[in-house]
Amino acid sequence: MRDIDPLFQAISYYRRRKFEQCVEVTSTLLEKNPNDQVAWLLKMRALTEQLYVDETEVADDGLADMLDDNAFHQTPMPGTSMRQPTAITNTGMSGPSPAMRPTTMTGRPITGMLRLNSQSTQGGKSMENALKTARTAATARPVTTATGRFVRLGTASMLSTPDGPFLQVGRLNLPKYAQNQAVSRSLFEHLFYHANDVRAALQLATHANEVYQNKDWWWLAQLGKCYHRLDMFRDSEKQYVISLEIQPMVDTYLYLSRIYLRLDQPLLSITKLQEGLEKFPFEPCLIQAIARIHEGLNDMKQSIEHYRQVLKLDNTNIEAIACIAANHFYYEQPEISLKFYRRLLQMGVATSAIFTNIALCCFHAQQYDMIVACFLKALGCATTDDERAEIWYNIGEMALYTADIHLAIQCFRLALVHNNDHAEAYNNLGLVELQRDNNEIGQIYLQTAQSLAPHMFEPYYNYGKSMYEQGDLQSSFRAIKSSLDIYKNHADSKHIYDELRKMFSEL
Amino acid sequence: MLVPVFSLQLNTKVFPRTVSVGKFNGKQSCLVGATAGNKVFIHSPRDVNLQAQQLDGNISLLNVNQVVTSLGCGQLDEQLKRDLLVVGTSTNIVAYDMDRNVDLFFKDNPDGAHAITIGQWGELPERLAIVGGNCSIHGYNKKSEDVLWTVTGDNVSSLALLDFNGDGYNELVVGSEDYDIRVFREDQLIAEMQETETIVSICPLDGARFGYALANGTVGIYERSNRHWRIKSRNIAVVLQAFDVDGDGVDELVTGWSNGKVDIRSDRQGEVIFKESLSSSVAGIVKADYRVAGENLLICCSNEGEVRGFKFSEQDPNALTASLYRDRQEAIRDLAQKKQALLIELEHLDDAIKHSKDTINKSTRRIVSDSSEAEIPAQTEIHTILTVEKRQNDSPAHIAVRMKTSNNTIIRVVAIFAEGLFKGECLVIHPAVNHVKESIVVPIIPARDAAVDLHIQVFVGFKSSTLFHIFELARPLPMFSMYMMIENAPDQEPKGFVTFYLNERIPRALAWINHNFLLAEEYAPTAPSLYVTFLAIRDNTRLIIKMQNNGQITIQTDDMELAGNVIQSMGKFLNIDDLQTTGDYPHELEILQKVFAEIEEYQIARQRISSDMAEHSNIIRSFLIRAEDARLIGDISFMKRNYIDLLNLNRDLIHGYKIRCTNHEELMKKLRYLNQMVQKAGNLRIGKYKTIAINQCRAAIKANNAQLLIKTIKTGNV
Repeated sequence: MRDIDPLFQAISYYRRRKFEQCVEVTSTLLEKNPNDQVAWLLKMRALTEQLYVDETEVADDGLADMLDDNAFHQTPMPGTSMRQPTAITNTGMSGPSPAMRPTTMTGRPITGMLRLNSQSTQGGKSMENALKTARTAATARPVTTATGRFVRLGTASMLSTPDGPFLQVGRLNLPKYAQNQAVSRSLFEHLFYHANDVRAALQLATHANEVYQNKDWWWLAQLGKCYHRLDMFRDSEKQYVISLEIQPMVDTYLYLSRIYLRLDQPLLSITKLQEGLEKFPFEPCLIQAIARIHEGLNDMKQSIEHYRQVLKLDNTNIEAIACIAANHFYYEQPEISLKFYRRLLQMGVATSAIFTNIALCCFHAQQYDMIVACFLKALGCATTDDERAEIWYNIGEMALYTADIHLAIQCFRLALVHNNDHAEAYNNLGLVELQRDNNEIGQIYLQTAQSLAPHMFEPYYNYGKSMYEQGDLQSSFRAIKSSLDIYKNHADSKHIYDELRKMFSEL
Repeated sequence: MLVPVFSLQLNTKVFPRTVSVGKFNGKQSCLVGATAGNKVFIHSPRDVNLQAQQLDGNISLLNVNQVVTSLGCGQLDEQLKRDLLVVGTSTNIVAYDMDRNVDLFFKDNPDGAHAITIGQWGELPERLAIVGGNCSIHGYNKKSEDVLWTVTGDNVSSLALLDFNGDGYNELVVGSEDYDIRVFREDQLIAEMQETETIVSICPLDGARFGYALANGTVGIYERSNRHWRIKSRNIAVVLQAFDVDGDGVDELVTGWSNGKVDIRSDRQGEVIFKESLSSSVAGIVKADYRVAGENLLICCSNEGEVRGFKFSEQDPNALTASLYRDRQEAIRDLAQKKQALLIELEHLDDAIKHSKDTINKSTRRIVSDSSEAEIPAQTEIHTILTVEKRQNDSPAHIAVRMKTSNNTIIRVVAIFAEGLFKGECLVIHPAVNHVKESIVVPIIPARDAAVDLHIQVFVGFKSSTLFHIFELARPLPMFSMYMMIENAPDQEPKGFVTFYLNERIPRALAWINHNFLLAEEYAPTAPSLYVTFLAIRDNTRLIIKMQNNGQITIQTDDMELAGNVIQSMGKFLNIDDLQTTGDYPHELEILQKVFAEIEEYQIARQRISSDMAEHSNIIRSFLIRAEDARLIGDISFMKRNYIDLLNLNRDLIHGYKIRCTNHEELMKKLRYLNQMVQKAGNLRIGKYKTIAINQCRAAIKANNAQLLIKTIKTGNV
């Protein structure tokens, strides 16, 4: 059989998304004839595709972003900003109390799905606090937006070609390429995603916009993306808005909403997304973005409402299903949650987390026969230590409910073996030890939990209570105060607090 | 009278003329103002925001991250039923809805924002945020479209909306740095008043009246284009506000001064009716129902953050009698002072009479009138002649005011009062004793072309007199006084010209020339067409005015501004409502084209520099985090290395910032030039053609089309 034409083969590889083979073939083609523009372009696209990420999902908040004053208002009205300190969240907010539904580090109720930005530690913390707290393997954040993920991508591109990078970015004649419509867009994406040279990409986009006299929405949106990546939000916003005027696009609306989130104006972000919905009424991405923002604002009702809308449009949306399921679980409707989790399993999403959740739902729905099976399945599916830790912690929880103290202790210990930073496990372990009258050990466990998870009120309350019982009123008072700082309306903490105050005032 | 109701300390600095008040949630008034660190503070008496309550003194801050140059509050969007905050910085405008924590818009505004006011302008249906910047005025609606744009002669320093001509619609009153108060009916200029300094504040009063304050400490009131009264102080008035102090239903003028004084003057005569003093310079005065809804307070805010509120209250009879008594005492004191002055004068006159009697007794031969030292001859007259003098070797070009007495009396001192002509109020010439003569020459150099009335006081007497007779004279200085009529020289005509047709006869044009130029004798040529050359003695350029029998007038000069002034003056004199002109200014337009190209370059450079800076600052942040990380784990050497890197990078950043600053300054200069050119081009036309020309220029600038702009300047429309 005769060899097929290498160029055709390369295109075929590219079409079948076999980018590595495609790069190999095009590289040989380019060795033969360095001026082969088709091969060059194809190689460039193949390299880009390897590292292509959906920008609408990226833009993690970096640690260093808390150094900036991007937000306009420092103390906005409640419910209009993402930067609410934990203390205020539960006053006048709809949704379950932190006692019922655990919170994330930002003081927001835990969501049904782990995603970027759901773990940020912006709210009400000083720089030092944020640096110190819990930057464990599971919660590590990039230092800045521009570093982090993007640098990793950049280095990856360098490794893929041992004899130096594919393009010498510094040597490119950007104005010339900007003229060439066939190449410029691919080149831009290559610079942006593969070479990770945002500045060069920005220059190219600027030149291209000159060529098109600011009439091409795509280039305007790309210019906005460059500014976005450089954290120049206002410039970015301007470009996105112009781009939308020329050609409304779902992506651009999503980018714009992200910009407003970074400027801490979530309501404006929602407004923009709704504008987008008028143009694209059946676009689940836009509704999903709205749902996420409502979730961030602790407005669970609205959030779930929007997730339901997403499901009506796209009944395989994992995030929506998971969030609704989690919400039902925390609203004490585990049976309904089970239905949603079953749906997830039917769709083939069989992760350990889902099995764990199903087990918990079963427990609360009193279908005890399923629990062990589910936990076993979950342990079987678990791939990382973190997941195992969570599973063992939950099994321990079950053991506590069934008053099997020894099993519980063993489970919590196992959880700690897998993840040494598991604050909840430390907390429960501490409680168990206190119950067994091992006061000192228990208190140490609780203190560990406090230092690991400053966003949880439980270790403080437990510690305070134990100290109160032991008669160390000063320590108790301090701990109870911290607990109340985190969760203002915690009735038990309040009770002890009032008692203590009465006692102190009598002195 | 006013009674103090509260006093509090904000504990922040407050920048002058940035204080405003708004109901950001539709109910509660909040005090806002710019403060240090590029922030805006918000103070509300009873805070609804729980978070802000924990803060010091109920103050919350907004990060603007750029120098706040002006600030305004108002209902930009009627549907919202609440006030919005509009913050102007040197490069952009933000309209912010505080209640929802949402930007209504964020707009680049390279012209800067020196003054902001919000309200209804003319017959435009929407409410606008009107922003005055570098020679330009923008009116933004709630969708951030600038629905109105016009130019003024110089940087805008103050703005106010009021019904100037009583037609039921608001006009915009603009004070600018070229000492002019202009009144715009939408984008049409309907009135222009000359002042003597930069107008720092304008405040609408009842009806067509408005108060104004100048940078030299003058405060006064205009009713339409007539000045009611004015006073001058050593201190500088910072802000004006209208407040009804005496309960008569008519607002009085409240002035905040740079020395911390606040006084309230009657709108009729300008006498002080209330005085109060703050510990440092006044930054702003606002009127709002701050404590109790519906009860308006006068709130004064000082630079150091001291806030005092006053409210109007009916006087109780005791206080009334007390003040009446005080008034009477003051009146008696005034009268006593007047009596004293009159007595002294009488004494002087007695002395003089006695003296003359003595001399008469000594030698009876001399004529009484001649020998008197106090009296000068009854028929003494002062002749004044105004002449234009070219630049000589040692003296610059000037207008000479020559004064001569009609007999052997001498002129001891001359004091000339003229508005805006001299630094300070007047010019006093008093030659040394041995140079005193019966004639005197006073040089005047007007900085710009404007018609002024000279009020001259001449002190006339004898050489040995101690008492002088004062002659008061008034001489008008025509608008184009610094131009000298010279011989026609067709080979030296300037290249720039503007030409237009008028439905007028030549004698009318001649009348205009005689009225507006300083000529030795009336100019009345006999030729059928008019052809006259003037020499601008400031810079020795020529101004040629030609008129054909068919009404075509050509004005040749290289100075576009001068041509504009000539046309405006002619238009006023001949009562022309609308006039279209065409012209060409090769020299100025060449510069314009160059400036246009340069602006583009600067903008590109700016973009590049700012993206570089953004990247640098990103790296700096990561260095900082890493260094702090290192500090927390006690790795001091690593921390040190990181901080050293940070320091170097920071130096780079500062360097970049400096470059950006100079770049920005240059850009501003060019943009100002551009706006001024548009203003000049507009001035070449009258009435609606002026508006059309300005709008066309605007469109050309927006489209970034230099050729179109030049064509518009030449022809007035496209």
